[in-house]
Amino acid sequence: MKHNAQKILAWLTLAWLMGAVLIPALPASATAGGILLFTKHTGIAVTPGELINHTVDIINDSNSIQQVSLQVVEQPKGWEATLMAGGWEISRLSVKPRSEESFTLQIKVPLQVEKGSYRFTIRAIDNNGRTATLPILTEVTEQGIFKTELETDQPSMQGSADATFNYRLTLRNRTADEQLYALSADAPRGWSVDFMVQAQRVTSVKAEANTTQGINVTINPPAEIEAGIYTIPVKAQAGLSSAEVELEVNITGTYNMELSTPTGRLNASITAGRDRMVELQLSNTGSKELRDIKLNSSAPVDWEVRFEPKSIASLLPGELATVNAYIKSSDKAIAGDYVVNVRAQTPEATDSVDFRVTVHTSVLWGWMGVLIIGVVGYGIYHLFRRYGRQ
Amino acid sequence: MTLLKEKKIAALFRRTRFMRQRVYHSRHPFWVMVQKEVMDSINSWRFIILLGLMLLTTVASLYTAMSNLRSAILDDTATPFVFLKLFTATDGTLPPFITFISLLGPIIGIALGFDAVNSERGRGTLSRLLAQPIPRDYIINAKFVASLLLITVMILTLGLLMTGIGILVTGIPPTPEEFWRIFFFLLVSIVFIGVWLNLAIMFSVRFRQPATSALSGLAVWLFFSLFFSMLVNIIVEATAPAHITDVTQIIGYQGFVQNLLRISPSQLFSEATTTLLVPTIRTLGPITLEQAYGAIAGPLPLGQSLLLVWPQLTGLTAAACIIFGLSYVLFMKQEVRSRS
Repeated sequence: MKHNAQKILAWLTLAWLMGAVLIPALPASATAGGILLFTKHTGIAVTPGELINHTVDIINDSNSIQQVSLQVVEQPKGWEATLMAGGWEISRLSVKPRSEESFTLQIKVPLQVEKGSYRFTIRAIDNNGRTATLPILTEVTEQGIFKTELETDQPSMQGSADATFNYRLTLRNRTADEQLYALSADAPRGWSVDFMVQAQRVTSVKAEANTTQGINVTINPPAEIEAGIYTIPVKAQAGLSSAEVELEVNITGTYNMELSTPTGRLNASITAGRDRMVELQLSNTGSKELRDIKLNSSAPVDWEVRFEPKSIASLLPGELATVNAYIKSSDKAIAGDYVVNVRAQTPEATDSVDFRVTVHTSVLWGWMGVLIIGVVGYGIYHLFRRYGRQ
Repeated sequence: MTLLKEKKIAALFRRTRFMRQRVYHSRHPFWVMVQKEVMDSINSWRFIILLGLMLLTTVASLYTAMSNLRSAILDDTATPFVFLKLFTATDGTLPPFITFISLLGPIIGIALGFDAVNSERGRGTLSRLLAQPIPRDYIINAKFVASLLLITVMILTLGLLMTGIGILVTGIPPTPEEFWRIFFFLLVSIVFIGVWLNLAIMFSVRFRQPATSALSGLAVWLFFSLFFSMLVNIIVEATAPAHITDVTQIIGYQGFVQNLLRISPSQLFSEATTTLLVPTIRTLGPITLEQAYGAIAGPLPLGQSLLLVWPQLTGLTAAACIIFGLSYVLFMKQEVRSRS
């Protein structure tokens, strides 16, 4: 096509040169009494799917009104070119003497087009049969794709496992037809991915030819997920074309732990001055390893709480560790309930639990009382024996 | 022991078949004596008056408790022991049941025991009794056991009456824990009255005149209920440390004052019963801030309450036993002559 155009151009040039040499009596198109075609932008760069408007001026150099018939004599195959003026599609234009008139050459760049230069030629013929031609060069700078594009400005986001990730996707339909795209995401198990268009949850979205559609994607990772980078491919699939974009979710780990007892029981009874073992259970409910967990306590005055082991070097997510706490009450503690607070802490996470410790007083003095009563009872028995049977 | 004669007569003349059977079934002469003593007392005006007094007390304290139960429950939402409030709730105009018992208990004890031995002696029946083929200590033992039985019956009746009317009026049944607390309270009341009974029996052995023994009993009661606290106050004023330098010092001194007060049986009784009927009481002595730190208000279980007042219970029981032992020795060593 390009070759053809060049050939024609060559012939035309040759004809013009011959005309100028051989028929000097004939006025040239540029000379007085003829018409001229003029445009400022004779060589432009465009992208596929673009609509170009060239404003072209016809200059009437003669002293009479010129009825000019216009025609696009050369255009690449598959391209559309129309001549417009005053809102109409035109084929003829009348120009006053010594005046000029403008019209528009509207070119629609096809979507499926090779990269390269394309040439258009407009030919104008006036009343006297004189012609004027205007070649316009259009350079397509991009490969015409005839497909769908799905893209986002922000493909990677970071947050904790309980965060919600919102991505803004742009779906560009670069096909020639209107398409209905089915939206899908290939997320791992436990993830939820929602597509939102205009605040509505959708599973498909319609896009006219050569338009864009904004899609919001909301991603909720599962709560118990390990820290790491997860890639979620999101796909828009229409009948013929499809597009895919990979969204990256960077889950930062959460540090969380829970302190309790194996049975969940948070009370204990203790004799004043004695000690009591309470089994504690520490579980890592976060998504990152906890290191160097220290256990400490706040207990009433003169109470002692000892832990076995004193600290835990490492606890992986989801794992449990058992710690024995030996609570020793003060020997001055009064009967009834006391609160003993036990804490497990790392710089990242901490949890504490309150134990209700019921103090029993020692039964020793109770036995002393029984002993005293016994002695008195024996005394009376002795009296009975001594005086009784008189 | 005038009834003993009647028994003998009854046995001799075989008055009724029923009577004979009763006599026949009384296995041991001791229990026969106890039975006679009880009958003797029950038929006496003295017992009826005492019973009437106690009934009035019960009704009065029940009335006070009922009219204040609502506000008492509203004041104290920490404990679920609604029923026990019947025994402790008061608006200040009339004392609650426990105070009545601690006030009137000694009177009952003294009234039942002040003439146990000396009236027998005065009537000249003691020598006749001793002429019977029974050991001498049966007399004093039977008198004590009979009076204690009466007291037990009276206190249990009043307590159960109180409980019963309480259930009827409030519609709240006592929980097992409350029931046992009431039971132990009644038991402590019996022991407390027993102390005064023994004291009265001792005076009746010691003094020939019933009036003297009654008066001495009342004097002791008055001393402990009126003058003892004054005496303690005087001692406290005299011995109070001039400069308090230390917490332990003040606690030690407080303990000393409390122990002085505990010489009085009434003090022991009120401490024991209050602890039993108010489960939120965790300690009777002064507590330091260190002991209170980290403590949660809550009721004690019954066992712990009992353990807390165990010294008081021991003290009361031991006092009752020792006074009984004294009167026993006094009686056994006493010379009994026919009317002189």
